[in-house]
Amino acid sequence: MDRTTLELRDATVTVPTGAAGTRTILGPVSLRASERRITVVGANGSGKSTLLRLLNGLVTPTSGTVTVGGQDTVREGAAVRRVVAFAFTDPLSQLVMPTGREDVELSLRRSHRSRPERAAAAQAVLERFGLAHLADQSVYDLSGGERQLMALAVVLATEPRVLVLDEPSTLLDLRNTTLLRRTLASLEQTVVLATHDLDLARDADRTLVVDAGRIVFDGAPAEAVAHYRALVEHS
Amino acid sequence: MNGPGLFTTHVPGTSWLHRAPLWLKLTGVVLVGTTTFWFTSWWQAALLLVALLAVGLGAGLPTRRVVASLRALGPVLVLLGAFHWWTQGLPEATRIVVGIANAYLAAGLLTATTPVTDMLDGLVRGAKPLRRWLDPEVVALTLGIMLRSVPWVAGAFGQVRVSARARGLERSPRALVLPVVIHTVAYARRTGEALAARGLTDPPTDD
Ligand SMILES: Nc1ncnc2c1ncn2[C@@H]1O[C@H](COP(=O)(O)OP(=O)(O)O)[C@@H](O)[C@H]1O
Ligand SMILES: [Mg+2]
Repeated sequence: MDRTTLELRDATVTVPTGAAGTRTILGPVSLRASERRITVVGANGSGKSTLLRLLNGLVTPTSGTVTVGGQDTVREGAAVRRVVAFAFTDPLSQLVMPTGREDVELSLRRSHRSRPERAAAAQAVLERFGLAHLADQSVYDLSGGERQLMALAVVLATEPRVLVLDEPSTLLDLRNTTLLRRTLASLEQTVVLATHDLDLARDADRTLVVDAGRIVFDGAPAEAVAHYRALVEHS
Repeated sequence: MNGPGLFTTHVPGTSWLHRAPLWLKLTGVVLVGTTTFWFTSWWQAALLLVALLAVGLGAGLPTRRVVASLRALGPVLVLLGAFHWWTQGLPEATRIVVGIANAYLAAGLLTATTPVTDMLDGLVRGAKPLRRWLDPEVVALTLGIMLRSVPWVAGAFGQVRVSARARGLERSPRALVLPVVIHTVAYARRTGEALAARGLTDPPTDD
């Protein structure tokens, strides 16, 4: 699979702060990336989520541009969202249908008009993720790890080229985090992942350290983690 | 947060209610919903409640689930009942509270006997005439999710009541209502955002 290039050019995100004031919560950030696995680390409130949300147009830049595979997240937002899937920390905010199967089918409504075809495609997705036996249970009855995998199956059903994950292991225990890691390792998609789990962060081709809305380090994961540690210890 | 009772998942079955066409069930839900406006006395609402329970049990839905779904709504009903009793007297309070329970139960009977996929397909078909102004898929999704959110709000009341009790504020309406509003708005935002992230609210593609 050709790697899709993610590109930010002088992107900033500014939010209103009450009485006609504004605050820049990210940027300006410039970045060009086409690695298979990119991780993002940084303190709470440093701007990780905002950076990730820029990548599929959930947040649009106040100035500058963001493109994915050459497509602009503002002008071609719908097209970008077909390429970039997004997984949230809490799978329950992602799963909107009563069961996993129905949620996977919801993902496939646009691509598969015919119901039998849609059902077959959903079954195939569920089997690929080893979730077929959980597909008809209420999502509330799944364990945290199972839910997170189900949420991944749901967003990956449409075969996006990029998967963005915002702190996917924050609610998981060690065993489930390991399961998540294994699943991520098996994906052919480009993976961009923000995390506080430094082991998970090191499992990458490139790591960004974000601090106060800026990328303050960009490079090899081991060095990035060391940089991040130093940053935390000196503040 | 839990999705209690009737709303959690579809209960497979072959009863007449399961087989009834979607438009009929939807019409039923809407009709039951409007009775809160035109029923004039509490016993009409009570009769309808008995009828709805009979329909649910007659359709082979497990008694436990029907009861559980009403219990989830309990705190909301108690709160509303107390308020209306105080302002309008007991018969009127009963009429209102039972009316709401009826609307909730009717929506629950619909979601329990209709697979979501059928519901979405049916709603999309129903929304086709509007397609010049609105994307039928988005209309269907919005309605489907609204139906599914009813028990979530009820669940939020239950949850908030527990934490209010922990702080000794169980009798303060403010301590109950405000957090529920906040929870609900946050839930709606998160759901909206998750749907947007999946591209489900984008206009249909031309390719
Ligand atoms: N929509 C918003 N409105 C106002 N402030 C926001 C908004 N989104 C994020 N922020 C603020 O921007 C900063 C960065 O947030 P975020 O990207 O969520 O950081 P992180 O994911 O690293 O914790 C935080 O201070 C946060 O409070
Ligand atoms: Mg964040």
